Amino acid sequence: MSSSHAKDPSFLGGRIPLEIESMSKNLKDVDQELFRKILKAVVSALEGKDCREVMKSIAESSVIPQDRLSHIIAGMHRVLSEAIRIPTPLLKQEAFKEDLRELRIPEDFIADFCSVVFGNRRAVLEAAASQKDPQLPTVTDFKWRVDVAISTSSLARALQPSVLMQMKLSDGSFHRFEVPVSKFQELRYNVALILKEMNDLEKRSILKIQD
Amino acid sequence: MAEVDAAKSLSGLLNGIAQKVYYNNSEITEELLKTELYPELPQEEFKALHEKMKGLLKSIATADMDHAQLEAFLTAQTKKQGGGGVSAEQAAALSRFWKSQRTRVRDSLLAQSRWEPSLRGLSWRVDLQTATSRGDAAHSGPVALMELELGRAGQDSEFVCLECDEAQINQVLKRMADIQESIDRIVHRT
Repeated sequence: MSSSHAKDPSFLGGRIPLEIESMSKNLKDVDQELFRKILKAVVSALEGKDCREVMKSIAESSVIPQDRLSHIIAGMHRVLSEAIRIPTPLLKQEAFKEDLRELRIPEDFIADFCSVVFGNRRAVLEAAASQKDPQLPTVTDFKWRVDVAISTSSLARALQPSVLMQMKLSDGSFHRFEVPVSKFQELRYNVALILKEMNDLEKRSILKIQD
Repeated sequence: MAEVDAAKSLSGLLNGIAQKVYYNNSEITEELLKTELYPELPQEEFKALHEKMKGLLKSIATADMDHAQLEAFLTAQTKKQGGGGVSAEQAAALSRFWKSQRTRVRDSLLAQSRWEPSLRGLSWRVDLQTATSRGDAAHSGPVALMELELGRAGQDSEFVCLECDEAQINQVLKRMADIQESIDRIVHRT
């Protein structure tokens, strides 16, 4: 261990994840063409695409036995997702390379990893990763109708406007509810207030927290 | 003194009827009103008084009378001859009662014809996402978390939680302005 590593711990944390360790053991006689094919498939998987067919054709055409391939794929997936987790200002390219060198990963492969982690693919990968964050459902569709009750079974002359709202949420649920006019004013006021809070927040320096 | 007591009993009776008929308060019963307000009145007479007041209130409430309509209605009632008429004291008590309870009675009657769950409340919070299990999220803007309280009359509330980013909130607000505009069109016309 060089002294520089004591100051700058590996992006993989204190203990090297098992998948990555066994990947480096299994990478020995893999040629760069195969490595790039797998890397491409793993990247598209991280982007949320279906890559089962690609993986299948890799497995069928490759000379490497399938269980070794599995170790390689799992390890690459882990290397990339760990590297994407760390914001770019904190992850130095040199340190990243050094960490991979210590795992005895061939230099050519390290360069390929770098092109994914520090290249223009990164933004796409980050965006895809943020889709997987835990979140509440969002509104996908919002319809409304304003009615005036003219007369009801209990009120001869009601003449009361009300709003009927229907919301479809991203979890697939539907909600239909009536909003009396007084409640509608309250709702509108609150939505406007939320927007104001959000705008204020963006102006304030709290958003510019930097590590 | 006796007159003051009579007025008090009468206004108690009207409020009791409103509690029972319009505000769904099942604790108030005819017997209770009788023993509390008119213990000395013969049962038959109380029953007649109770029915008469209930009928008058129903007429007033169903038509949602305004001040002028109520005065005309009560004047007509006081001029009625025989047992069906209303005394000046009773007219005054009805007028007082209606002045203070009109809005509430109207709201309760409107609610009786509302079948969809209605919006009861809204709570919200604006968050700034700073980090996630998948990495740093400093680029993402603020998020609004909202909780809508929905419920049908007499039933427990149901809560709907959702989140919106700034663009979505902006869109919702625009929709609200459209809704407001269409409400205003109706309200101004009538």
